[in-house]
Amino acid sequence: MLTGLAFYLFAAVVLVSAIAVITARNPVHSVLFLILTFFNAAGLFILLGAEFIAMILVIVYVGAVAVLFLFVVMMLDISFSDLRKGAMQYVPMGLIIGGILLAELIAVFSAWKFAPNAADNIAVPFVQSAEGITNTEAIGRVLYTDYVFAFQVSGLILLVAMIGAIVLTHRTRPGVRKQKVADQQARKKSDVLEIKKVTSGTGV
Amino acid sequence: MNNEAMTSFDFSSLGAILPELFLAVAGLVLLVAGVLRGDKSTNFIGGAVIWCLGIAAFILIGLEWDRVSILNGMFVMDPFAGFMKVLVIGGLIASVALSMQYLHQDYIARFEYPILVLFSGIGMMLMISAHDMLALYVGLELQSLALYVLASIRRDHIKSAESGMKYFVLGAISSGILLFGISLLYGYAGTTNFAILGDTLSHNMSLGVIIGLVFVLAGVAFKISAVPFHMWTPDVYEGAPASVTALFAIVPKVAAMALLIRLLFEPFAALQSEWFQIIWFIALASMVLGAFAGLAQNNIKRLMAYSSIGNMGYALIGVAASGAMGITAVIVYLAIYMAMTAGVFGVILCMRRDGNAVENIDDLAGLSKNAPKLAYILAILMFSMAGIPPLAGFFGKFLIFQSAVESGLYTLAILGIISSVVAAYYYLRIIKVMFFDEPADKFDAEISLSRKLVIGLSVIGVIFFIVNPSPLIDQSRIAASSLFSGLDDVATPDTAENNTQ
Amino acid sequence: MTEFFSSDLWTIYGLPFAFMMAHIGAIIGVVLLFVAYYTYFERKVMGAMQRRQGPNTVGPFGLLQPIADGIKLLSKETIVPTQSNGPVFVIAPMLLFTLALIAWAVIPVNAKWVLADINVGILYLFAVSSMGVYGVIMAGWASNSKYAFLGGLRSASQMVSYEVSMGLVIVCVLLCVGTLNLSEIITADRPTWVQILLFPMLIVFLISILAETNRAPFDLPEGESEITGGFMVEYSAMTFALFFLGEYANMILMSAMTVVLFLGGWLPPFGIEALAIVPGVIWFVLKTLLVMFFFIWTRATFPRYRYDQLMRLGWKIFLPFTLFYVVLVSGLLVYFDALP
Repeated sequence: MLTGLAFYLFAAVVLVSAIAVITARNPVHSVLFLILTFFNAAGLFILLGAEFIAMILVIVYVGAVAVLFLFVVMMLDISFSDLRKGAMQYVPMGLIIGGILLAELIAVFSAWKFAPNAADNIAVPFVQSAEGITNTEAIGRVLYTDYVFAFQVSGLILLVAMIGAIVLTHRTRPGVRKQKVADQQARKKSDVLEIKKVTSGTGV
Repeated sequence: MNNEAMTSFDFSSLGAILPELFLAVAGLVLLVAGVLRGDKSTNFIGGAVIWCLGIAAFILIGLEWDRVSILNGMFVMDPFAGFMKVLVIGGLIASVALSMQYLHQDYIARFEYPILVLFSGIGMMLMISAHDMLALYVGLELQSLALYVLASIRRDHIKSAESGMKYFVLGAISSGILLFGISLLYGYAGTTNFAILGDTLSHNMSLGVIIGLVFVLAGVAFKISAVPFHMWTPDVYEGAPASVTALFAIVPKVAAMALLIRLLFEPFAALQSEWFQIIWFIALASMVLGAFAGLAQNNIKRLMAYSSIGNMGYALIGVAASGAMGITAVIVYLAIYMAMTAGVFGVILCMRRDGNAVENIDDLAGLSKNAPKLAYILAILMFSMAGIPPLAGFFGKFLIFQSAVESGLYTLAILGIISSVVAAYYYLRIIKVMFFDEPADKFDAEISLSRKLVIGLSVIGVIFFIVNPSPLIDQSRIAASSLFSGLDDVATPDTAENNTQ
Repeated sequence: MTEFFSSDLWTIYGLPFAFMMAHIGAIIGVVLLFVAYYTYFERKVMGAMQRRQGPNTVGPFGLLQPIADGIKLLSKETIVPTQSNGPVFVIAPMLLFTLALIAWAVIPVNAKWVLADINVGILYLFAVSSMGVYGVIMAGWASNSKYAFLGGLRSASQMVSYEVSMGLVIVCVLLCVGTLNLSEIITADRPTWVQILLFPMLIVFLISILAETNRAPFDLPEGESEITGGFMVEYSAMTFALFFLGEYANMILMSAMTVVLFLGGWLPPFGIEALAIVPGVIWFVLKTLLVMFFFIWTRATFPRYRYDQLMRLGWKIFLPFTLFYVVLVSGLLVYFDALP
């Protein structure tokens, strides 16, 4: 009963905040609602028994990605009401496409069936996790063995994303004075300081 | 924790993926070298990338091309994959060689440029060899992400930034559509492996599978810019720096087409009656749109975009015709198309006046007087594109239409011929402008050796293809038939023996 | 009423629920008590370091000072600026304070003395501490003031930057203990060479938690001398008190986290068996106090970092170093076959 209660709580908050993401007038509020959505989705993962994914979701999405989102949105100087002015003309088209997709989804899921051998096809059968290995271990076992290919290529994708971000944003600005720690350390007294004997009354 | 799973990993099974591994390691090393030496090392990195691609090609050719699937059935090597990868590597080498001089002229000589091309190349090779929906997706993303960045690499130029943005947003949507389709298929079959998927889909179907198939095809059709998912192509081709446009036109579509073919004839083989209608329609629509929309273009990069849409339409006829013959035609067509496009873009990259790139068709006016060699080369290439015998372009189209007729696809064949006649108008118009119009100002004369080499090879290939067409056609036939003899193991999942864990 | 207490509903749901609530109440009470007297501790220690007396008027030795402060803050008026974003402005301090408290659910202060002994305890701690940034950034934005906004932005980038190296430090420890459960992390077998190997990570972790809690010498988000108090500049009375309490609760939490990861939790120091007669919880508190003292000590001795120096330390020194260390630790563990 408690899990049921928790499910309805998390699910309801996910839905409400997801709707609020797209209806909120203030973009910062949208991002905050998005964070709430992520957080409650993590709650749903915990109810599913996937505690590792839940925690990673919070750490990565809530703790890092959404912070940067918020960061950018807060600094943007865009009038979102101006952006929305032209948006109304696309609403009918959006409704048509959305309606078609919804109809398809209803058609698909009302007549859904699994392949007769679907349960045998599943790469990592469910039974394995029942043997008392934790979530983390179960993921680790397949991630670095069966799925090492996808894992490594994902690494390459992230590398390319990083190169891309640097290529598109990094620029060397001339005339910026930067602190050079090595130079500071290497500086000796004799480079900058000269001690002169001044006889009184003559000046330097 | 127990370590059994780790110890049983067999490194010898990695042989088939050696070219990709080599390229990935080389990419990392070159990246470090570039970071240490800065943008002045662009030429060095570019040369090194070409060399690495060449070495990878040698490794690839030296491999056994017998069908083998490794890494838990995610990666497959067969003659089809091998041959398509050779094509892709060739295209990559050509596009890097074409663009090095352009990079300096357009102030985008960043050392990351060739490295991004290299990484997108790895993505394409992984796409061609993908034997699992997961592998397909990661390969596709690796390729696309590098291309998004390349499209907007001239970031202070508004059109380049716009084209990168458009490509990125639309590409992300298409990836989303693709993933949605994959998840529907996975929901039905419980697997993402192509072999098991093909086996599972061969008996009793559900509506979800059909919709999943449609979504997957829509996602892939975006990548090959087939109508109705072509809208990004003209804008991206026009906005991106010309050297990047050359890359876009020459290589990624070949890889995406290979991916499409593998999808259709391995996991979706049993659904042929369903996907045939889709392929039939997008082939037809692409040809017609490519031919008619191209008529109104004045910008040569946009023109090439519509031309590529049309050409993908012709290639899709071969896919629709299916069977070893149709696929042979597709492969030959793609190879010839790559060679021609490389040459055409070589010439387009030479269109510079007073240090600035010009890209209108009118700017070519009177090229026969200003630079006769360039004019004749472009004329030959345009005749070939238009499909005038005895040039190579004719044979590509001929094989495609022949396969269509033999499979009884008369509508496609007839409409294909009509649209290629229409398209011939805009190819021939360029020749008319070059030879009969009042001369415009001269182009800048300097052309780098590597670019001359690529243009020269392309033209020689186009002219002399007729002398000995059999090597290409034979290789393509071997590659294509491997796809169909491979169908045996679709029925018996081949992952069991390769699944070392 | 008696019927209810004997019913199944009470024994199955009610009783555990009441027990859990009592447990939570006890934890919060103790933590708040510690927070209150941590401020006193800080003022006394800093006083001693600066040859002053520290609080000494309210009650014997000034012991009632924290309570007096609390009453003062409670009785003042909470001001919400008119131009601020009301709901966000009010939620921000509550969020910060709540997050500092909920993390205590997984901290084991003694063998079996833990509210929730979950499998992914360390990830939970990391997740909760990484969310703390929202309190600050929301406060900075909602205040609609330049100083507050600058403070919020500084804090966001600072916390995100140092979380990266903190995460890698935690990975190093996890490699050595082979579990994510906090109690098991404490009881896991650690040979001496592993402890020595992890020592540099302890240093990195200690410095990172200073940045993570916005404490001196990394207190740029507050930066009184340049941005007059940063994200807290518009807050007053109880909302300010919540920030204040949250910050100190966070410091105690981070100290406890250090104790769990590096200092052996409730186990007696240096593995001396004879000291085990002292209850584990005492050891835990003593060790935590040691790290808490470290917070005060650095505050009293170090000048504030400049912002670029802070970022340089995080990204150009800690990140490569910890990354290298992850590889080193895993390499050594595999080489000596010491993987848990």
